[in-house]
Amino acid sequence: MDSALNKPLPQAEEQPQKREAKPREKLSRTWPLHLMLLPAAIVTFIFAYVPMSGLIMAFQDFKPYDGISGSKFVGLEHFRFMFEYPDSKQVIWNTLIISGLKIVFGLIVPFTFAILLNEVRKMLFKRVVQTLVYLPHFISWVILGAILTDMLGNKGIVNQTLSALGMSNVFWLGDGDWFRFTVVVSDIWQNFGFNTIVFLAALSGVNPSLYEAAEVDGATRWKQTLHITIPSMIPIGVVVGTLSLGNILNGGFDQIFNLYNSLVYDKGDIIDTFVYRTAILNGQYSFGTAVGFFKSIIGLIMIVFSYRVAYKFAGYRIF
Amino acid sequence: MKKWLSLLLILTFMLAIAACSGNNNGNNNAGTTGGNASNTPKETEAAAEENFKDGKYTTPITLSTVWGLNQSSVFKVGETIEDNVHTRLIKERLGIDIKYDWVITNTNDAYKTKLRLMLSSGEKMPDIVVFRGDLETVNMLIDSGQFMPVGDLVDKYANETYKAGLDLDPTIWLPISRGGEKMALPVLDYAYNGDHVMWIRQDWLDKLQLKAPTTIAEMETVMDAFTNQDPDGDGKKNTIGLATGFKNGFANWMTDIGFLFGAYGTIPGQWNLAADGTLEHGSINHAAKKALTKLNEWLNKGYISQDSALFDEVKGSELFTKGEAGIVFGPNWLPAWPFPDLKNNVPGATYKAYPVPAGPDGTIGSQGGNPPSNGYIFVNKDSKNPEAILHYYNWFFDNIANPQPGSEFEKGFAEGYDYATLPDGSITADAAKYPDLFPGLKDQTAPPLYYTLTYEGARIPTLYADTHIKLAGGAEPTTPYEKQEFNTRLKENTDAMKVVMDQVEIRKKNYYMGPLTETMQSKNELLNKLLNETYSKIVYGQQPVDTFDEMVENWKKSGGEQITKEVNDWYNSVK
Repeated sequence: MDSALNKPLPQAEEQPQKREAKPREKLSRTWPLHLMLLPAAIVTFIFAYVPMSGLIMAFQDFKPYDGISGSKFVGLEHFRFMFEYPDSKQVIWNTLIISGLKIVFGLIVPFTFAILLNEVRKMLFKRVVQTLVYLPHFISWVILGAILTDMLGNKGIVNQTLSALGMSNVFWLGDGDWFRFTVVVSDIWQNFGFNTIVFLAALSGVNPSLYEAAEVDGATRWKQTLHITIPSMIPIGVVVGTLSLGNILNGGFDQIFNLYNSLVYDKGDIIDTFVYRTAILNGQYSFGTAVGFFKSIIGLIMIVFSYRVAYKFAGYRIF
Repeated sequence: MKKWLSLLLILTFMLAIAACSGNNNGNNNAGTTGGNASNTPKETEAAAEENFKDGKYTTPITLSTVWGLNQSSVFKVGETIEDNVHTRLIKERLGIDIKYDWVITNTNDAYKTKLRLMLSSGEKMPDIVVFRGDLETVNMLIDSGQFMPVGDLVDKYANETYKAGLDLDPTIWLPISRGGEKMALPVLDYAYNGDHVMWIRQDWLDKLQLKAPTTIAEMETVMDAFTNQDPDGDGKKNTIGLATGFKNGFANWMTDIGFLFGAYGTIPGQWNLAADGTLEHGSINHAAKKALTKLNEWLNKGYISQDSALFDEVKGSELFTKGEAGIVFGPNWLPAWPFPDLKNNVPGATYKAYPVPAGPDGTIGSQGGNPPSNGYIFVNKDSKNPEAILHYYNWFFDNIANPQPGSEFEKGFAEGYDYATLPDGSITADAAKYPDLFPGLKDQTAPPLYYTLTYEGARIPTLYADTHIKLAGGAEPTTPYEKQEFNTRLKENTDAMKVVMDQVEIRKKNYYMGPLTETMQSKNELLNKLLNETYSKIVYGQQPVDTFDEMVENWKKSGGEQITKEVNDWYNSVK
């Protein structure tokens, strides 16, 4: 035991010394790796950084046939319009609530599920469950939307079950509060399998000797989970949480768009659906860009903020 | 060794990227700029007329244009849009040599984008530009000042068929009128095809011994029976009266609910002609309040689905095709789609078309009756032969639009393209089954009408309706068009078209045919949301009916008044 624990340490100390000592030699050894990184870097540059120049549109009165070079600059006009628009406050508030709930439960559910699944001894059962919960992730919301509208309808299977149990029907997609509930639950149902896999990967990386030691010390399964499994999953949980916080202003366009209707505008309309109706349907591309820009900035602030918090409280650095 | 492997991997990646980015440029037909329009001064009309004799230019002329290639255009091996059976025939018959300055595959509105680029860079336009799409682009083309008024051309050169099609509805000119001048030639399409009838489950009516309703009150009796008297006879209360879905608004292309508003004198979601001759938005007309009250009552009584606000047209129609609802409002062609589903789901189900019912004071109103145009042809004012496109269009009206038995194009446009003759003399269009008869084609025919400058050759707006009225009267089909309609349409479809034509005067068209106004662009979203939300909540009883008046005030305050003014300014400028 002792030797196994001690061994990696000297190595870890040696390596940085080497790197500092001969950087050029290091590069000559690793250049193929850097070269392999190049295509990804180029693709990122072309598809993520170059299009950013289009953000200029947010400050223009963009007309498609005039192009970016020909359109008139209007400064912060679109941002002013965005904040003065009567529905903006409501739409931003809806987005925050819906995506906040999605983020919180989108962490808790797969976290718990991964721990439970990890305790399963039968490998076959584990694999099957893992695949099954992952599958909905691949179904498009256009299809899921139609299925849910059917299932949750007045004569759908859910309401039939409810009335069979003597309960009154619920207007899942037509009542604002129930709509939020439906959106959050169906989103988690669709996506928790994906994060479960991430957490399971983290679990398989836990050093078995920790469990062996705990068992020697007489810890029960529950105690082991509490003191080994959960602490060792915290860092990856922080990563997942941090990354999803950057999406705080994305309520999930395709989902809401396929489920919402005029009855739930006041509780279910989010920034993206609102932008779709204003910017795309009415040809206000500049306004759409301005909102997108605003969202990106908030997203960036949230990531930086949560990164700091994660570092402070969990001692974890992502970058 | 490993190093070389990774190097190879990298090189492959690089190549892949290079290949991907390179592809985009490959397809551009690097259009020659400008167009070949006149370097010489415009020839006199007399000379042009002299040149055109017996339906043909004695000295062939060139007609330049630009083209967006749609997916419906299939070509034989070796043929292109520039050189095919259509261009050759037109050159031979009419002496018109069609020249394409550029051709682009029309995906993602590429044609529109390229046209707009031409406009913004001030490029010279070809002799004619054909465009089917948004009114913003139509406006830009007109405002470019490169195209001529066509009123005189139509008077002088258009044949009677085209003129009759245009005269069917004078408002066809509204979107393209400028100060009394007609700035483009409308491409005609079949008329009345979107106008609604009331479809009822005839077997339910017969079973419950009811007669078809002619008023809203009678309709309520029928709906009540359909809801409560178990018309499908399964012993369960699982039927409703009317299939409707108003997720997308309250006037729909199928599963329409607009007829109920029409019965009280307005059509929501469009601009109606008010009694004082101005245009008003149908959704804020006070009549809508009565319709909403009624709709709320229907929902409470279970005549319409509790989920109606969640359903769009297609989803709503499923209520009917599943055998759950007994009435649905929609166009004459529903028997072709989606009604076959009803026959599959409920064997023995029968349905029939009836006229749209009247309101309490006898008012009947249903959306529709919009002018039968689908696209426009713009004629360059510097064109040497501005009349050429009319000779071209005339030829299609005369020869192709409705060929008579025994005429040259009776069977189709060209043998081996859109049809082939079997050894026994009958005609087939099954290219997959008879590949030998369609040389140079694979599995599908190549209808040359889709190559034409007017999109589908020529369509006589009234032909569809006239044919079905004739067939509904029991007449034998004689012309190829009549035979085709007779063989492919169900009897219910034919009868429905007669019902549509019997009620032609109840149609309420959308009088605003211009592009989005400035205030519409910034306020449409807000206003539509306000309307749809209030409407739905009133129907569902989540808000009292009286919030309607509040909504109207809000609508006016939040930009509706300004839009009404802009719309009327437009109307005054074109009428």
